Amino acid sequence: MKRTLNYTGRKKIERKNVTISFIRQNGKVTAFAVDKLDLNNLNLRSDAKVYVEAYYRTELKRFDCNTAGNIRIPPSCNVRDMAYPENLKFRILVVDPSDGKLLAHADGISPEEPAEKKSILPVEFSDLENEIWRVEYKGDGGSPILIINSRIPSIQNIAKHDAQFLVYVYPQVIREVLTHIVFVDGVDSTTEPSIDWHGDWLNFIKQFGVQVPETLGKDDEVSKENALNWINDSVTAFCNFYSNKFEEYIRKTEEEHHD
Amino acid sequence: MINLRVMLPEGEQKFREYIHDLRTNPSSQRPDLNNKPFSEEFSPVVSIDEAKCFNSKMELAEYLQNCFDQAGLSREEVLPRNGLWTWLAYVWFDQLAPITNPDTNERDIKEDAKYICSSDYRDYYRHLVSGPYSIYSLHGAPNSHIFLYSPVNEHNDFIEQFASRQFIISHKNIVEAIYRLYFDSKKRQPKEGAQARARPGNIRRFVRVIQQFELTYDIYTMSSDSILDLLPPEFDGWKK
Repeated sequence: MKRTLNYTGRKKIERKNVTISFIRQNGKVTAFAVDKLDLNNLNLRSDAKVYVEAYYRTELKRFDCNTAGNIRIPPSCNVRDMAYPENLKFRILVVDPSDGKLLAHADGISPEEPAEKKSILPVEFSDLENEIWRVEYKGDGGSPILIINSRIPSIQNIAKHDAQFLVYVYPQVIREVLTHIVFVDGVDSTTEPSIDWHGDWLNFIKQFGVQVPETLGKDDEVSKENALNWINDSVTAFCNFYSNKFEEYIRKTEEEHHD
Repeated sequence: MINLRVMLPEGEQKFREYIHDLRTNPSSQRPDLNNKPFSEEFSPVVSIDEAKCFNSKMELAEYLQNCFDQAGLSREEVLPRNGLWTWLAYVWFDQLAPITNPDTNERDIKEDAKYICSSDYRDYYRHLVSGPYSIYSLHGAPNSHIFLYSPVNEHNDFIEQFASRQFIISHKNIVEAIYRLYFDSKKRQPKEGAQARARPGNIRRFVRVIQQFELTYDIYTMSSDSILDLLPPEFDGWKK
């Protein structure tokens, strides 16, 4: 359940003011770095304590970053002693030293990763009986995973390279995921959605030149229509971006037809 | 004794099929998955007593902690190995899914996630072997007792309500407060009525209140005493 009550005037630390990245050794996450933590616009008392917490499932580790007036990130934010370091999320807490109340907070922060390392749609292969593909929302925070039927011969190769598969499946996957975001989960903010993976998908869509509306609601007919139009525009833009795959599919189909 | 193994994808698939078969045909024969390509030996070598019977989840978790300690393995080295937990569930399957009707060999079989260790955030904590170990290796005795008092084949409401919530299960002081509130250490089981939705201060109410505290206080630095002191009067009856 999403909780947004704020009786204590706790301030929100905007995502754009926090940047965290993983440090890897031999490809494995061993530590993280806080590249940016800007609290200047929040008007916090200078002696407020600042902490960064790394967490995932049962794991939790806190790092003391001194005070809001003099932030000092520990030189080594070691996470070698945590299980699932690749999956860690982060929260920032600013605490009133006099009564232990939270003055400011940000949660669910994912580390910045080079684009090629971060997949917004992991793919798994399993027996789906007579179904070709299915999207299941069982990733972190309910994020989507594309399940493709492992009974199909050479399916791993087909899923990666076959133009017909790409043009048939991926536009519909995108439509499915965007519809889920808007009409199942609901979007509380299109600029800083509280569900982390929503933000990743909205950013993904922006790459194709489709602007995300200020709101993506489902509570009235106009909002629904606007949201559906945005979804359609997004799918169209995706298909246009990969028009070479469509051309390849047409070419192969014509060749087979002539044969 | 048998050396600890890690279930591989083909073994997991066979194990899953066996579980599914048992639901319709209780006499299905358990496949031998203690060889490649179904499983592979874990390194370093860890000896496991496949015939050992556990009276509670706590006993199972203590046993595994001891095995891993002797092998010099830390929780962060073993927890992410889903195949290891799936294999342990396979080895101890007879007590994790016990026969309930000897005449028909019918078993008490629960959903797959209780036996096949999953990365799914919705049910990773439900696995009947990794779940208890994950809690015990973090919270130890006596605080883990509130989650691990029940038989190895039974999932309980304390795990469902508390262990499913990252913020709660990862805070040792909150878990200590839960243990102090709801566990009867003389009877070695939860206090009666803790799970009853109609009772003031029941475990679901505790979750709601802690979720409010999470957004108000720096819980991490508080002692369990301080957390208990902050609770509203509806919880007073449980503090005795």
